[in-house]
Amino acid sequence: MFLKRQMPAIIAIGVGLFILFGHFINNPNIQGFVNNDATQWFDIIASFAIFLGALNMLKLQVVKVVKRSKGWQYSLLAIFGFAFAIFAGFFFRGANYITLTEINPHKVNILVEYISTIQEVDDPVLMASRIEGSLASYEIPKIFISKATAESFAVSLSSIANNVTLGVKPWGAHVQIKGSLFSWMFFKIFTPLSSTMFALLAFFVASASYRAFRIRNFEATLLLVSGIILMIGRVPVGELVPWWLVSTLIVFGIGALIAPFIPNKKLLFGIIIGGITLSSGIGVLLDWNLAVNIPGFLSLPNISEWIFDYPTAAGSRAIMIGIALGTIATSFRIILGIEKPF
Amino acid sequence: MGYMDIFGVWLSVFLTLSIFSYLYKDNPFYKAAEHLYIGISAGYVAVISFWQQIQPNLFGRLWPRIDSDADIGIFKSAWYFIYEIFNWVSTLGGWLDRSIFPENGIKGFNEISWMYIIPFILGIFMLLRLVPRLGWLARWSIAYIVGMAAGLRFYGFLNSDVLMQLKAATIDFSGDWWSIFNGLILLIGTLSGLVYFFFSKEHSGVVGKVSKVGIYFLMIKFGASFGFAVMGRISLLIGRFDDLIIYNSPQNHHATMWILTAMVALLGIWAIFDKPKTEDLKV
Amino acid sequence: MDLLKKIFIALGSMDRRFIFLLVGLSVLLPKLYPDLFTLPIKPSSHSLRVFDEIDALEENSKVLVSFEYGPSTKPEIHPSAIALLNHLFSKNIKIYAVALWPDGNFMATEAFSQVSDKYGKKYGIDFVNLGYKPGGEAVVKGLASDIRTMYTVDLLGNDIDSIQMMQGVSNLSDLDFIFSLSAGYPGSKEWVQFACDPLGIPMSTACTSIQVTDIIPYVENNQIKGILSGMPGAAEYEQLVQSALYDRSVTVEPGKASINMAAQSMAHVVIVLLIILGNITYYLTRKSSNKGGI
Repeated sequence: MFLKRQMPAIIAIGVGLFILFGHFINNPNIQGFVNNDATQWFDIIASFAIFLGALNMLKLQVVKVVKRSKGWQYSLLAIFGFAFAIFAGFFFRGANYITLTEINPHKVNILVEYISTIQEVDDPVLMASRIEGSLASYEIPKIFISKATAESFAVSLSSIANNVTLGVKPWGAHVQIKGSLFSWMFFKIFTPLSSTMFALLAFFVASASYRAFRIRNFEATLLLVSGIILMIGRVPVGELVPWWLVSTLIVFGIGALIAPFIPNKKLLFGIIIGGITLSSGIGVLLDWNLAVNIPGFLSLPNISEWIFDYPTAAGSRAIMIGIALGTIATSFRIILGIEKPF
Repeated sequence: MGYMDIFGVWLSVFLTLSIFSYLYKDNPFYKAAEHLYIGISAGYVAVISFWQQIQPNLFGRLWPRIDSDADIGIFKSAWYFIYEIFNWVSTLGGWLDRSIFPENGIKGFNEISWMYIIPFILGIFMLLRLVPRLGWLARWSIAYIVGMAAGLRFYGFLNSDVLMQLKAATIDFSGDWWSIFNGLILLIGTLSGLVYFFFSKEHSGVVGKVSKVGIYFLMIKFGASFGFAVMGRISLLIGRFDDLIIYNSPQNHHATMWILTAMVALLGIWAIFDKPKTEDLKV
Repeated sequence: MDLLKKIFIALGSMDRRFIFLLVGLSVLLPKLYPDLFTLPIKPSSHSLRVFDEIDALEENSKVLVSFEYGPSTKPEIHPSAIALLNHLFSKNIKIYAVALWPDGNFMATEAFSQVSDKYGKKYGIDFVNLGYKPGGEAVVKGLASDIRTMYTVDLLGNDIDSIQMMQGVSNLSDLDFIFSLSAGYPGSKEWVQFACDPLGIPMSTACTSIQVTDIIPYVENNQIKGILSGMPGAAEYEQLVQSALYDRSVTVEPGKASINMAAQSMAHVVIVLLIILGNITYYLTRKSSNKGGI
């Protein structure tokens, strides 16, 4: 029981105190451990946690297949996807490259033509000049997934250079190099799936806004108005909104604010119409149709920038301080052993 | 373009349109793509974490590269024998090429860092979460992470998110009237927003009025967040449409058009045959 | 008038798939017919600030660029990354790339391969990509203390001490500027909390639109010097870089974000109109039901 309950608490309290006081203890060994090794340990254990998540996912999918649960056929796809990623990461490097040494300077353009058959060359002149600068040793800027493809391409280059050698990128680097099987998986499978999942939300945001965004009270109105001003003001179309439309909307807004205090609707209507007429008249007199003459508060991008810089920042700051105080309190509780989330 | 490239383009268009097919309704194309995504993403992060962290920073510290001719003593020889056992297992008894455990150790560090046995053991404990009887050992690893995060965040949040933000909320009265007005807006908004989150006192009287003002500032903030959220999602949608348009080019053999046509036809057929079963309709 | 009311009420209950179609068309049409939808892009004060901060850096300054975004947020941040690399390379500034997200590696590789050749920049001399490390703020803290305990090799497996531009760089204090290309956690916040504030290193950021309101307090407080917010911010920065480089006789093709601003604008207009329509319908429906209740 001590190992299951108290020991984790001791570890959490000990590590928390050590890391916290490590900021204030001026001993090089302690500082070195706190700033370097302790963070490395954190990273290493976090990596194992990632493995745990992946293996847990695999376990769940395998159980679904074994038990023939509803939709088990789709779980086979999940297992296949995982297996493919592991295969590309640990068992099949697929990062073959070709190096040419002592290139014949008269055959540089032929080499550029050969390279253009296996990948797009945006600037043949630039590539040719780069090859001319590396005639002693030049690596073809293309990674081959299949060794056989690399070999057959290498054969076609045999007349261009004195020596054509095949190499394979080291294990570890192969997961980062564009052109390897792992990167092919990343760009052709993972990227479209991941990006499209997020892009779907655009449609649902629009649909939800249409159905649920209602002016029910003053707070909802504020939320809606600030959202709309920012949505239009932050994009180029905001520049096209004319000054008289902005002034009319401001008059309407003032009218909405003073409406509860003016029971006579005809008087209210008159004030609004008068306001619109006055603002439009002033605009014509002062020639606000010229962009340079428009006062800042009648430009939608300026209004949206002001809303963003001040009221929004104030609200964000309040939330940030609130979250920070909560985080500090929780961290303190963990360090004192009051909170045990494990 | 090579065959793998063309196949890759068609595959990515198919997967993109499969996910988009959810806009019609939940269907087999979407479910298949979703499950593939789950599997691939789990494998992807595991592979990256291993090659970027575990292998160089853990195994590289425990078994750094040594000179094969050097005399390292009995103890270190035994230690590197364990390394060779790991290699034997990872290469399936020598059947595959060496990958994770290169010959004579891992390039990077010069000396063995013995204390890194501790995170290695804690990492193994983390994985033991999958074994029901030994799962409790993962609590030690989680405790380390929790303690570390608590210690790190305490200082970081206190300094950057509290002290510096409170300092920023002050007003500089030496500026012009517009900057003073804006400073007042920031100060009033911050304080009233904080009062709104203070639940130890009932929101009535002066506190109630101040917290009401705080709500107004928070509503403006949420409206702005909504506006930016819409902006972000639309940007991502534009990105996907960009790719679909590029993949509809003649070099890619009009992949988007063909796959879209096929998918619409197949979904139409599926929609006709996908009637709710009688037993599902029974209450 | 009654007919108009009935039309609005009918529109209020339209199938959501029709809304999806409207949104899809509002994005697709400007992409297919760009000449019909051209809009001017005016830089905001925040984008100008970012541009000025980078432009003020001297030749051979050392800038750390952190890639913490992936393919899902690439349309928003990658254009900023490309414009930033153009800006930095044109000023002969050394770039040290790291990633706090695993996907950031590929984004970094793609960005460098797109830009570095144009300026004749060499890996290891003008730019280096150290790669991804998991751990979030722990990585930032480690880098602030000693880069070599975090990274022994770079992304391509080269020993870090064999890289020319790593000579004399032991931790973040040896760098002149940090730029975070951030899509969430870990990201700009962690750089502010664990590197820029403790060490006093100036920093700017390009982040996703969703994150912007959370980061703005740091910008207001000058902890972050300017922010590029999502795709519009990227478009503004692209314009600034393009015109600055044009003045310096360097041609940069129009950035992706600038090209997409028309589609972004149209989509926003459609969504705002839908919200207004929804509210008109709500008002009319509520009025009819109130009359019915009397």
